[in-house]
Amino acid sequence: MLLLDYHNVLIHSLLTERFSGSTPVSIDQVVSDFDGVTFHLSTPESKTKILISIQVKCFRELVQYGAQQVLEREYGPYIVDPEPGYDFSVLIDLENLPAEQEEKHNLIMRLALMKRNAMAAPFERAFDEFAKLSEEASRYTTESAPQGVKEGGEVMAIHYREEEAIYIKASHDRVTVIFSTVFREETDRIFGKVFLQEFVDARRRVLTLQNAPQVLFRNDPPLELAGVPGLQNVNDGTLSYVTFVLFPRHLTPQRRYENISHIQIFRDYFHYHIKASKAYIHTRMRKRTADFLQVLNRARPENEERERKTASGRTFRVQG
Amino acid sequence: MSTSLRPYLQCVRSSLSAALAISNFASQTSERHNVPEIEAASSPELLLNPLVISRNSDERTFIEPSVNSVRVSLKVKQADEIEHILVHKFARFLTQRADAFLILRRKPVEGYDISFLITNFHTEAMLKHKIVDFVIEFMEEVDKEISEMKLFLNARARFVAESFLTPFD
Amino acid sequence: MASQTPAVVMDNGTGYSKLGFAGNDSPSFVFPTAIATKAGAGSAAGSAPGRPPVANKPSFLAGGGGGASSHLSAKRGTEDLDYFIGDEALAAANGPGYAINYPIRHGQIENWDHMERFWSNSIFKYLRVEPEDHYFLLTEPPLNPPENRENTAEIMFESFNCAGLYIAVQAVLALAASWTSSKVTDRSLTGTVIDSGDGVTHVIPVAEGYVIGSSIKSIPIAGRDITYFVQSLLRDRGEPDSSLKTAEKVKEEYCYVCPDIVKEFARYDREPDRFLKHTVTSPNGRSVSIDVGYERFLAPEIFFNPEIYSSDFLTPLPNVVDGVIQSSPIDVRRGLYKNIVLSGGSTLYKDFGRRLQRDIRHLVDARIRASEARSGGARSGGLDVAVVTHKRQRHGPWFGGSLLGQTPEFRSYCHTKAEYDEIGPSIVRRFALLGGPGSA
Repeated sequence: MLLLDYHNVLIHSLLTERFSGSTPVSIDQVVSDFDGVTFHLSTPESKTKILISIQVKCFRELVQYGAQQVLEREYGPYIVDPEPGYDFSVLIDLENLPAEQEEKHNLIMRLALMKRNAMAAPFERAFDEFAKLSEEASRYTTESAPQGVKEGGEVMAIHYREEEAIYIKASHDRVTVIFSTVFREETDRIFGKVFLQEFVDARRRVLTLQNAPQVLFRNDPPLELAGVPGLQNVNDGTLSYVTFVLFPRHLTPQRRYENISHIQIFRDYFHYHIKASKAYIHTRMRKRTADFLQVLNRARPENEERERKTASGRTFRVQG
Repeated sequence: MSTSLRPYLQCVRSSLSAALAISNFASQTSERHNVPEIEAASSPELLLNPLVISRNSDERTFIEPSVNSVRVSLKVKQADEIEHILVHKFARFLTQRADAFLILRRKPVEGYDISFLITNFHTEAMLKHKIVDFVIEFMEEVDKEISEMKLFLNARARFVAESFLTPFD
Repeated sequence: MASQTPAVVMDNGTGYSKLGFAGNDSPSFVFPTAIATKAGAGSAAGSAPGRPPVANKPSFLAGGGGGASSHLSAKRGTEDLDYFIGDEALAAANGPGYAINYPIRHGQIENWDHMERFWSNSIFKYLRVEPEDHYFLLTEPPLNPPENRENTAEIMFESFNCAGLYIAVQAVLALAASWTSSKVTDRSLTGTVIDSGDGVTHVIPVAEGYVIGSSIKSIPIAGRDITYFVQSLLRDRGEPDSSLKTAEKVKEEYCYVCPDIVKEFARYDREPDRFLKHTVTSPNGRSVSIDVGYERFLAPEIFFNPEIYSSDFLTPLPNVVDGVIQSSPIDVRRGLYKNIVLSGGSTLYKDFGRRLQRDIRHLVDARIRASEARSGGARSGGLDVAVVTHKRQRHGPWFGGSLLGQTPEFRSYCHTKAEYDEIGPSIVRRFALLGGPGSA
């Protein structure tokens, strides 16, 4: 597995099974997703009505950036009042599904992407803002642009994990997405550094990636974040900032949906691969250890045949 | 670089072979005990002169002989923090399996990465020159393994980064 | 924090792995413990199936191509990412290029390389959790060597940095799962667990949360054998479809345990409506109907009368259970008889528990009567034999794990990453007994 899925496999498989018309059963499952997102799938009223609730750590921030509108657009008719303890709920009536097979699949996928959609709001807003700013900017030359256009929009901060956040800022020629990441473990920190360096270099080195977003990483807050409250400036090397600069070609309406999904998964992808390489290194070490043992075992003299036979065929052991 | 490796390994081989002239020796300090004197270090007259063989500033071998045991400690080359962490991980992985290795010391001597403790019981049960072969091969392979792991890590990181950035376009 | 992340419960068995989150009533994923890896290109497909597919040199070294080639070619030493687990593994192995491996044999992990990757995929692809945020509850078979535990901890903590880890014995979790039964009043961890999965059936006595290792017995009759037996009955009768899959379906849907086979045969002759029809629909849309007859009660009967199926194992299950308890320390035997807990898919037949309880009671009563007779007039107070059946039998160990994993004190029983870093893998040799006396 190279890339992670954007959707939640469990929700997808569960709903596919339910939607295929198998006999309704009651469900009550708490499901986790990356970044501390929790889903609750249940059938509170009757077995044919599935309530799906999501809890996101930074939901209040997301609402600020328009998550409600995005979710309404995606799930409009299914939305119900949020279940207590959760941030957002939809209710699916199995007796009232779209008739078309294709639409059913579509709905399943949309539901499985609930986390992605909730987190997409600030990105969508930044992309819109970019469109507006770039249109405004096209009316000015670089020098004469008014302050607002040159500076770009405000920085949107999403504290999606306990100690880590995503910052998004739109300008007239780009959208900047900054991940702050923390490494608790020494090995991870060093592996992480190697990986990040390659992210930075990839664009320069590989011809086909000339058009990919620019990646930068540093240990102190980048300039774009100047003035953002709540930034710790601990410089012990555990905290680093990864900046993705998305250029206009990434922000076109055609690319928009895919790219929002893709950039969201960055942290999980990054951590998954650090762990996968550690697993591979373990594999190597196991192999090498086995080889070493073989060499050491060569040092033991061959066990001579201890059992001897007499002429009559009886066996006896040589003592010592 | 590799021109200095051969004499270095040759030197370790000869020194270690010489140091492995050990024999059974009961403890002088406690009755009916038989301990590796190099570890117990209770009688200075039983310890021989320790010896450091250095290939360069960050690669060396430390041989501590005694009447019935020899301690060999290795310092593996660590050019940067990646190699440092890999050596550390590998050493930990090996010591975790020290039971199977018989002569591997569970904890390296201060200032070194990996230590072996060879006692007279080992030299009696195993062929002496093969033990030396093992140590030499170990030294060669560890370097190779560490640099291969580092290469792997870089290659993997490159691959991962490129795969992530490709779908954007 | 208002809500804690739920603990991840993983029960990796020989046949199937059960994965999910603590607090749920059923595992989120149940799939075969199988991993399909890229079979070495060019090299013989059958070469040492257990070996990890690690080349001596990463292929990018051997390749010798230009370092900065722009293509994301396969020559980058990424074979270790190219694999599938679970059902996808079975599907991939049908196609070319992949070879299937089962990392667990006889309940114990045999191939750590494969297991590590199996876990990696379980966590990141299926459960979708960041292991640093979650506590993990894993299971192990009884008599698992402590080295295996250490290896597990090494992987969980060093590769995955999981926040905390608890490793529980499957049989103990199966006992905990039985607490959901209304029949169980005191939540004790003393009892006999009969764990019958696909490959083998174990009878495991547990006293106050500790497995009595010396008394464990296993029986070479389990789910797969019942399926084979059903299949052979279908074949003998010349049914139009007697595939293994059909036999399995018949076993799962129609089989039950009867009190007495002779009487049951007579009943079938009297009441012809007991003979059923089963319709098999093949993927191409054709459907065949087959008769289902005596195998309904004959198949599970091989637990109680193994001679009808096998010629080398002849001890009936009730006798094995009785023998296991008799070989346990005398002061726990009463508790072991009183709480016989079923676990695993092959214990789900209707009336399985009732028949087992009756048969064991017969054995016990006969022994008591004999000893009363020998003692010349002394009366015994009797012995209570109870077999507990409950709704969560199928995934008993997983459910027990889910139950214990959601308790507030669960985290305090785990070893954390910080403790592991401090002490090392040997830390997992000891775990405080979760759910034992003193907790909740």
